[in-house]
This record gives sequence, C-alpha cells and structure tokens, in this order.
Amino acid sequence: MPANEAEKKLTILELGLSNETMLGLFNCMLTSRTLDERLRKLFRQGRYAGTYFSAVGQEAIDTGAAYGLRDEDIIAPSHRDIAASVAKGIPIREMVAQVYARITSPDKGKSHPCHYGSRAKGVINPSSTVASQTIIGTGCAMAFQIQKKDNVMIGLFGEGATSRGGWHEALNYAGIHKLPAIYICQNNLWAESVPASLQAGIERFADRAVAYGIPSMTIDGNDVFLVHKQISDAVKKARNGGGPTFIECLTYRWYGHSEIDPADYRRKEELEHWKLQDPILRAETTLIELGLLTTEKKEAMIDQINQTIDEAVNEAEAAQYADPEEAYNDVYSDPFPVRREEN
Amino acid sequence: MKKITYIEAITEAMAEEMERDPSVFLIGEDIGLYGGVFKATKGLQQRFGVERVIDSPISEAYIAGGSIGAALVGMRPIPEIQFADFITPAMDQIIQQAAKIRYRTGGQWTCPMTVRVCCGGEVGGGLYHSQINEQWFFSQPGLIVLFPSTPYDAKGLLKSAVRGDDPVIYFEHKRLYRSVKEEIPDEDFTVPIGKGAIRKEGKDVTIVAYGLMCHKSLEAIQALEKDGISAELIDMRSLRPWDHEMILSSVKKTSRAILVQENSKTGGVMAEVSATIMEEAFQYLDAPVTRVTGLDVPMLPFAPPMEHFFLPNADKIAKAVKKLMEY
Repeated sequence: MPANEAEKKLTILELGLSNETMLGLFNCMLTSRTLDERLRKLFRQGRYAGTYFSAVGQEAIDTGAAYGLRDEDIIAPSHRDIAASVAKGIPIREMVAQVYARITSPDKGKSHPCHYGSRAKGVINPSSTVASQTIIGTGCAMAFQIQKKDNVMIGLFGEGATSRGGWHEALNYAGIHKLPAIYICQNNLWAESVPASLQAGIERFADRAVAYGIPSMTIDGNDVFLVHKQISDAVKKARNGGGPTFIECLTYRWYGHSEIDPADYRRKEELEHWKLQDPILRAETTLIELGLLTTEKKEAMIDQINQTIDEAVNEAEAAQYADPEEAYNDVYSDPFPVRREEN
Repeated sequence: MKKITYIEAITEAMAEEMERDPSVFLIGEDIGLYGGVFKATKGLQQRFGVERVIDSPISEAYIAGGSIGAALVGMRPIPEIQFADFITPAMDQIIQQAAKIRYRTGGQWTCPMTVRVCCGGEVGGGLYHSQINEQWFFSQPGLIVLFPSTPYDAKGLLKSAVRGDDPVIYFEHKRLYRSVKEEIPDEDFTVPIGKGAIRKEGKDVTIVAYGLMCHKSLEAIQALEKDGISAELIDMRSLRPWDHEMILSSVKKTSRAILVQENSKTGGVMAEVSATIMEEAFQYLDAPVTRVTGLDVPMLPFAPPMEHFFLPNADKIAKAVKKLMEY
C-alpha cells in the first residue's frame, strides 16, 4: 500500500461492494489477463502483424473504472486499456478481429492492434498520439453538460501522457466548467523507457490536478475493489453535477511497452516486487477469504473464458482481410467519395 | 433580398443554424460577451446563452480537441480559431484525430465539426496576425477545406459545413469581413461543398483563385479588358474537395492557366491544381501553367512596403497574364 495522505486503508467490508460486483470485477480482470496473455503468445507465434501492447499487471485500474458503467458513458482509453474494453462490454470476438486486422473487425483492418473501440459500447478508439484521448474525452464531458445528460466520461492515461500540453488544456477546462469527467492516471512508473522521475518534478501525479481545481487522490492501483469503490464514488459525484475527480492509481506493467521491447531498462527486483502485488492474485485471495470463490470455481471461470477466446481466435483466423479497395472507404461521409487512382 | 457584409453573413449563418439545431454550439477565445475580436459572434451569447457560446481559455488544443469529443457524442460544434496563426497547438487534434477518426474506426465515430479560422493579410496584421496556412489542411485527406470570397458563399458554405457530417476547416479572410457587401436571399439557402464558381466568363486565359485573391483577380481582369484580353475567373470556394471538372474544362477552353494564391508558393494549393492540369489537360495547353503567389519566405513581413511586396495584387496578376499571352 503506497503512502497516501488523503486516504486510510479501507477494509474490504468497509468498501461496501456487493458480492456480485466483487465477483464481476474479478471475472473481468481474469478475462482481460487471459486474453492479453493469449494475444501475446499469438503475436510471438507470428499469427498476426504489427505488434502487441500488453497491459498485464494493470488490470485492476481499467476494470475498476469501466465496470458497471452505462453504454452511454464514455471511456477514453489509450492503447494499453484492454481491460477497460472488456469491462465496458466490447465483445471478445470484435477485439480479436481488431488485433488480426480482419474484415470482421469494426475498423475493417485499418487501425493498428490494440486500438479497440466501440460506439455502441461508448469506448472511443484510441490513437497513438498519447493524451489525445484525454482532450477528446473532455469534449464528450463538455457535451454531456450542454446536453444536460447525466452521463460521465472516464479518461484513462499513463503518467507519461500528463507531460503533454493538450492534456493540461483539457484538465484546465474541466476544472473551470466542473465537467462530469473522471481522470484516471495509471502510474506504472515507466513511460515506455523513461522513468516517472524524468517525467515530472513532483512525486505524486495527483498533484497536477491541484492546479486545475480538481480534487485528487493517489491510491493503490492493484486493489481492484478499492479502485472500483473510489471511481464509482467519483462517477456518482460527477453524475450529480459535482464536477471532475482525478485519481492516480499506482501500478506496474509486467512486460515491455510492446512485444518488441525487452524492457531491459528496468531492474529485475523492481519487477519481482510488483509481481507479488498481482492484482488478480490479491483479489482472488480476498474472495477466497470471504468465501465467495474456490479454486474449482476459478478454474471453471477460466475454462469459460478460454472457450470464448478460442472461438474468437478461430473466427479471426478464418476471416479474410478486407479487399484492399476498402482503403478508399470511410474517408468522408457519403456525398464525398475519394477519387480512385488508376493503378 | 438584403445587402450584407461578409462577416454579417457568417454571423447570420451561425445564428440561424443555432436556432434550427440545438446541437450546434460555439467555442473560442473572446467570442462570448465581447462578440469576438472581429465581432463575428456579436450578440450570440446574449441570445443563446453561455452554455452554447463558450468563452474558452487560451487553449487551441482544447478548442479543437474538445469540439471533436463533443461532435462524437451528438453535438455540432463551431470552434473559432481567432487567428490562423494560432492554430498550431490544435494541429494534433485536427490532423491526427478529426481527419482520421471516421477512417480508423470504420465509420463508427464521426466528427461533424466546423472550425472557423480567421486568416489573411493586407490588414497590417504583421507576422502573427496575417497567416493563412490553408495548405496544411488542404493536404490532409479526411478534412474538408472551404474558403469563401463573397457574403453569399460565406453564409451558404458555412451552413453546408455545419449540416454535413465531416470535419471542416472554414477559412474566412479578415480583409473581406467588411470590404465586400452583397445582396443575399432572405430565405434559407446553402452552397454545395466541392463546387467552384465562375465569377467572370472569358476565352483567352483561365485565372483560378480563392478568398481575397478572387477580388484581386477581378481587378486585374478589368485592367486586362482594356488591352483586349478576355480572362475567365474561377473562384475555387471549396479547396478540398475542389472542382476538377470546372477548372479542367475552363483550361481546355482557354488553353492558358494562371493560378493565384495569397500564401507562399511551395507546396501550396495551386501546386496541386497545376499538377492536375498537367496530368489531365496537358495537350490543351498553349503555355506553361503559371502561378502568382505570396513569397516563399517564413511569413508575411510587417513594414507596409514589404507587406505589399509579399502579396499578389492586381498588377502582378495582370503582368503574369500578359506574359503568358505573349508566350
């Protein structure tokens, strides 16, 4: 548990989560982890092109953030937010098809692996320009305020994204207008290869929010129950017109920035330390202690998840790529077709 | 019919679209109570309220990016960039997000946003209040780029932009705000995107221009008439997509083309128009396609004689036409 002035350690019972919620959170994390590890393996087997961005080790934050939201609530994720897509309800088969860049993917193969999104499920497909999603997400929250809707926007980003200018412009705006926005900083200590100490002159990234008049806190990002409780409280507050909240969640990514990064800039001891803080193992221990989970029940959950993933992978591998002429589509709305080259 | 200025046409278009559609809203610097530095939004906050006419902090990345986000969830924002010179912080949002989100999501998310950009020289604005930079956006697929030269087009194109489902960069030339007046219909009308306008018919040479340069070209044409030269003027109006058919058929008729652009020469809109004429109408040409443009220097210099030296004008255009006729 990291040092934190703003908050005392709450026991699982004090969090007041229902059994159903706790098991649901666990199942989402387990799904994300199992899918993530499978997609890593498939990449290493050369089964799809590009690269892969693993979020193993960070699942508690995304899951805690996205679980239980409405479809109309917006998640503005980065490329490392597989767990948010799972928890927000994007079908696994769509996500695998996206990674495989097949015609069955909603983007028809135009976007790079891990850029999952769904209009129906309220997940904005991320781009690779870090922090852009925070600016756009803040615009969604601005719209909800104008529309007088009680939807919220949850912005997910790493600590590295907080160094970009536009990110600050967005938070400044959210602070001025008390937008229904929840900013979740996943501080995994490394922005690709650069340590947090070279990213900011402050120790707690939550302090960035102080300048914008946004209440903030730093919490243990590997405790899914705590994360969900804190974010749910912030969501309720935002829905009721109480304005934005900034939550820094401390965590660690187990693997490299992408599969082509051996992450040899980090000390082995640091990784080992954080692996002991595995969010899934911790949630599992708690659930077993509460009598809500058994090893058999967990195995059954994993079997079910694997079956879904197997089906999704088989379907993606059997699917075709889109006709290359698909490259001409979805540039503009219908009145403005792109001129086709004769080649 | 009533006679209004270019800037009044813009104000009317915004007001009427806001009246018609509650999802239309404005955001920009000083656009609220103050009514904008050029008064394009005068009276709109009083009429539509602070939630739909938003005074933003000095944050162009957010003005653009926040508008994109709002557009994704059902709004039709009209963000204002006070001066084109200040648009650079918004480039990431416009180029990487607005232009690409429909494409990279297979059409799941769309961005119906109209970015109004106040631009242009010949107002003594100096280095950072005279730029246009339309070519940055012109070269980006996924964006629509408009540049009206008359009050009728200013109103009709702005309405088309707001009602369409694509991100639009709408350039308005500050020199034209109050210098051109025109009678326009009282009833609702739009101007189609992607269509040019023939401002003057002629047979000897085709002049292609947009924005302030249309007016400079018309001056040149009047002078050329005295020398017995009949020039046709095409106002592009819509830079992306642009009216290939209109320009090519005019060039095929006149066999000569002069392309006029206020901005610097290299990599500009007219370089593309020129290349297209060469690809598709080469055998019709009697002379090389010729450009009259701003200087290839970093920006428009301030001292009045230097500003004058930088910008194309009627004399420079007429001179280029005569040279071409003698080729």
